[in-house]
Amino acid sequence: MSDFKIIFSGPVGVGKTTAIGSISDIEPVITDEKASDMTSAQKPGTTVAMDYGLIALGERERIHLYGTPGQQRFDFMWEILTQGGIGLILLVSNARPDPFSDMHFFLDAFKHFIAQTKVVIGVTQMDLSKQPRLEDYYLQLEDNGLKIPIFEVDARVKRDISLLVEALLYSIDPGLED
Amino acid sequence: MNSMKTRTQLAEPTHSPTRLAAIGMDQRQRNALRILFSSRCNKRYVLTEEASSEICILDLDSFGGEQKWKEFRDRHPEWPLILVSIKHHEIADRNTLFVQKPIPVERLIAAIETHRSNLPGSNIQDSQPAFDNPRINITKPMSGMDSTPTSRVVSTRRAASLMSASQEQTFVGTSPDIDPTDPEQLQNIYYNPAHYLQGLSQQALNQAVRYNQAISMDGPWPPITLDIESNKIWVAATERQLRPFCTLPDTTLEVELTPHAEGWSPPSNAKGYPLQAFIWQLALWASRGRLPEGTRIHQPIYIRRWPNFTRLVVTPHAMAIAALWAQQPRSLLDTASVLNIPQRYVFAFYSAAHAIQLVGETRRAVDTLIQPPAIERSTNRGLFGRLLDRLRGGKRER
Ligand SMILES: Nc1nc2c(ncn2[C@@H]2O[C@H](COP(=O)(O)OP(=O)(O)OP(=O)(O)O)[C@@H](O)[C@H]2O)c(=O)[nH]1
Ligand SMILES: [Mg+2]
Repeated sequence: MSDFKIIFSGPVGVGKTTAIGSISDIEPVITDEKASDMTSAQKPGTTVAMDYGLIALGERERIHLYGTPGQQRFDFMWEILTQGGIGLILLVSNARPDPFSDMHFFLDAFKHFIAQTKVVIGVTQMDLSKQPRLEDYYLQLEDNGLKIPIFEVDARVKRDISLLVEALLYSIDPGLED
Repeated sequence: MNSMKTRTQLAEPTHSPTRLAAIGMDQRQRNALRILFSSRCNKRYVLTEEASSEICILDLDSFGGEQKWKEFRDRHPEWPLILVSIKHHEIADRNTLFVQKPIPVERLIAAIETHRSNLPGSNIQDSQPAFDNPRINITKPMSGMDSTPTSRVVSTRRAASLMSASQEQTFVGTSPDIDPTDPEQLQNIYYNPAHYLQGLSQQALNQAVRYNQAISMDGPWPPITLDIESNKIWVAATERQLRPFCTLPDTTLEVELTPHAEGWSPPSNAKGYPLQAFIWQLALWASRGRLPEGTRIHQPIYIRRWPNFTRLVVTPHAMAIAALWAQQPRSLLDTASVLNIPQRYVFAFYSAAHAIQLVGETRRAVDTLIQPPAIERSTNRGLFGRLLDRLRGGKRER
């Protein structure tokens, strides 16, 4: 049995748990608890340990989907979680107050992992808030020279999350269909 | 971390490195050569000034390139020279070798080694000839313009497609690969976007942006209005009703673009499509696997940023092409060749992405100098392919 993992990360309430659920074979194992003071205004449940989902490919291969807890008090777990990971799916939300600084914060927090693999960015909740535009996210990253895929996604929609994962795989190996 | 390097590597030099000079090359091109020599040629060669060099490389495509060549030969009638150019040249002179750009690294090494073996005092006998070196991978198929499309075996493996066969036909067409050396075949790969609703929509968009107005395109088709306020195109028809007008040329000959006063609002029977997605789709419909007129198939293509694939029609192999161009510019033909896919998929994707200004031809001289390396094969390629199939094929039953 070979095991692989893909990491989902991003700030509180951007849709990490939902995204994992959208593509997982199993009901995601959720460690949500009633939201603490920090997040209570936003939604009823927030993840306190990590999310877990699974895609089994035949009998021999398993892709584990791990979601980091969004709250910063859990950031000690991030580095451990990424070890041996295929790549990073970073979700940011247009409905949060400052998605650019969220994006920069997470790209920085995972920079060692990203340097070894690849990252893709999904911007959620663009239906709730039109601004900023995707173009603006790209402008934010213009200086770093990397052409990271940034897609508009709805974490509840399987096709959106699937395409995000596809972009991650193609970024690592554009020839993977050959 | 999990990608295996399959790069051309030369053995460590057994003697001092061969000195090469670059003529008619700008700073970027020189740097590219410097990096190439130190990284992929294991420091067997170094870049120096002409006066202290043993072999010269001259870029015929630089400004006054032919003249530079002539002057060089006046200065040094017998000096070993490597000429490079995008266009093929026949050269009848044993001191002058020609390598076509973008330069395949193996070709450049072969040319340098050929010259080197003729240098006075060359001890080439006891040093290994480059191509017998087991560390040079010359069995790897050369990508790019050298491959004749007719003899190329195109990948038959198909990842579960996001498209049905009939959808694929509408968006990508069925044209076979062309032989780029055949002018007749070459003519068939082009279309003129201006003759289609695609071009008209692009024109309307420019106008709408410039004057900050909604614009209607009045023609034989159902009413279409482009509104930058909502960032949408409003169409009082279904896609099926609209499509015939998008695939035929010259429906746009007698058309008016009518600006609207401020405060325009869409009619109640109209459906709004996101602007970019709409133009993207019109371009696919019009191009059907062809290229906008004037597109150069040997010129490397850059991608400004990834298309927002979640909100666009995703044609087969589009993601692979985007990922490849995001790594490094590559020509359209080279792209089809290294990905081992029919050219029409590359052409279709280019046409759509070009219509929304995400891709274009590179203009810097350095981008056409050296052929990009082969794709680095990930050790997990097989797994990735299976995961891809799963993601496209739907969820497994619990
Ligand atoms: N309207 C809208 N809602 C979304 C979108 N994506 C996710 N959501 C919703 O956003 C809410 C938060 O999603 P979660 O999956 O709990 O977010 P999370 O990132 O796991 O949050 P934490 O565990 O607290 O860090 C859920 O109600 C989702 O259904 C989107 O694109 N649009
Ligand atoms: Mg969660």
